[in-house]
Amino acid sequence: MIEPTIIVHGGAWDIPSSLTTRSVNGVKAAACKGHEILRCGGSAVDAVVAAVSALEDDTAFDAGHGAVLNLKGEVELDAIVIDGRNLESGAVCGLQGCANPVQVARLVMEKTSHCLLSGRGATDFMESQGIARIPDTELVTPEARNEWETYVKFSAAVRSLFSSRSTPPVTSGCDTVGAVAMDAKGNLAAATSTGGITAKLPGRVGDSPIIGSGAYADNTVGAVSTTGHGESIMKVCLAKKVGEQMEKGDTADQAARNALDFMAQRVGGAAGVIALSKDRQGAACQVGHHFTTTRMAWSSISNGQIRWGIDPGQEMISPLNG
Amino acid sequence: MSVPTIIVHGGARTFEPDLKEVVKDGVRAAARQGYDHLIGSGNAMDAVVEAVSAMEDNMVFNAGHGSMLNLNGDVEMDAIVIDGRNLASGAVCGLQGCANPVQVARLVMEKTKHCLLTADGARAFMKSQGIQPIPNRELVTQKAVVEFETYKKYSTAVEKVMLSRSIPPVTSDCDTVGAVAIDGNGNVAAATSTGGITAKLPGRVGDSCIIGSGAYADNAVGAVSTTGLGESIMRVCLARRIAELLEKGETADQASKHALDFMSKRVGGTAGVIVISAAGVSGTARVAHHFTTTNMVWAAISNGYMRWGIDPDQEESSELKA
Repeated sequence: MIEPTIIVHGGAWDIPSSLTTRSVNGVKAAACKGHEILRCGGSAVDAVVAAVSALEDDTAFDAGHGAVLNLKGEVELDAIVIDGRNLESGAVCGLQGCANPVQVARLVMEKTSHCLLSGRGATDFMESQGIARIPDTELVTPEARNEWETYVKFSAAVRSLFSSRSTPPVTSGCDTVGAVAMDAKGNLAAATSTGGITAKLPGRVGDSPIIGSGAYADNTVGAVSTTGHGESIMKVCLAKKVGEQMEKGDTADQAARNALDFMAQRVGGAAGVIALSKDRQGAACQVGHHFTTTRMAWSSISNGQIRWGIDPGQEMISPLNG
Repeated sequence: MSVPTIIVHGGARTFEPDLKEVVKDGVRAAARQGYDHLIGSGNAMDAVVEAVSAMEDNMVFNAGHGSMLNLNGDVEMDAIVIDGRNLASGAVCGLQGCANPVQVARLVMEKTKHCLLTADGARAFMKSQGIQPIPNRELVTQKAVVEFETYKKYSTAVEKVMLSRSIPPVTSDCDTVGAVAIDGNGNVAAATSTGGITAKLPGRVGDSCIIGSGAYADNAVGAVSTTGLGESIMRVCLARRIAELLEKGETADQASKHALDFMSKRVGGTAGVIVISAAGVSGTARVAHHFTTTNMVWAAISNGYMRWGIDPDQEESSELKA
């Protein structure tokens, strides 16, 4: 009997102390939602979509409700889901007017022969599936609006809309959410969702909806979701690199650590990783996480226990109730 | 120090006999143009952008002028460049009204902090760089219209625009173009560009603009450009897989074959790749190409010598004329 396992993250960044409680509560609740589905015999894909949907609905995180704003003050969302059985995948980027992009990503996987839809095509597809577009105002929080205004006010280097920026974008928006899971049949899945970074150029796509960067899942290897500086993650195909390390025999923890070290040395930038690796017999999995940012909110459930943390080296543990 | 080398491809698909000569001429001309820049400026990035631009301008290839049409009968283009020195990258997807998407991709890399811009955002950025959009219809060829009409006639399963398609897309247009090069300083670069597949869902993004799927480049390893069934390439991160095999010590030839074998077994689908491996321990960069489609048209130049081909295990060669 395979023990279902799930681990979720709520973003790797300089999470302020004022947000740590909400972030920890949010990832724990999302992990519980996903694990409940696994416990009742649901698939790994069902579980990661449920967990990420919960994080999208939670305004503490930069995904769905609570997403940060692009340079024009609009919301553009990216998300992905990958099924480790056959590497099927669905993703969206630059999706607008949607509360749960991860669910639209799943529909891309299940209802089309494509892996990624962008912009208006993604929004039109969503509507064709019976999901009505909602106004941006429903997704935008006061925090996201404040962050955007702060950026616009202090970005003295910006004279015209698209001139090269020497001022780095505000880094407090790197709180992509994600989940990876293994179900009772031993199948793996991964999902990631984000609003991107505050004041990103309209149309900017980060790592989150990219197979091999924001997520990776393969039943024979493991499952990964990443968060952090998107461009750095993309340049090294971070999720795929974690997978490669696991194939070489690294534990999930070691793989996350080694891949993040490589990224830091090769291109710079900080990020966080959650991962599940299959053991040699394929019957169980190791859970791992690592981050090179100041903090990363995460939570995992397996074997009747829930673990969580937000600071480096921190891991709280308690029995999972009922 | 390395021997300056370039290899280009004009797509992996089944070429009709009456097209073979004209596409061979096309890749040879593109390789020559890229090689002249390699010797002139000594810069691998200049060389791949020049070579791919030449193929975008050549209506016989599915990139820039000559791009295939999406389900709405529109052109939407994807392109990428990667600089192997520092893994800097720029890409666009769903770009319209642009004759040379690979040049806009390069501008994304050089003028922004981002790696990928989509659709309207990509177009607005292009305009901000002083490149005026051209009417999309200027990019449309008779051949693209004929393929689109053929698809519509035989696609009896499609009642509404966005229904899941059980009929596979017309496969005769998987002719993304690409180039990889190594310059005299040992720097590698890769570039890929495409109009995508006929009758793709509007907004569909394939492998061509994705780091690790359509292209990969790292001075420490080598450079790769891929072409073929985009969704299969994405699901296995084909370009990154080849890089990984090169890291493990495989030759460019072996890595190409093994990666395509893996893709075929794990997710199905056919494709073609061009590879230059870094000089590494042996001190000699190697060039390779491999394809599991019926044909792939390619041309390579090194040491004043040009080789080219289109059929499996077939190659012509000649000394480069001054």
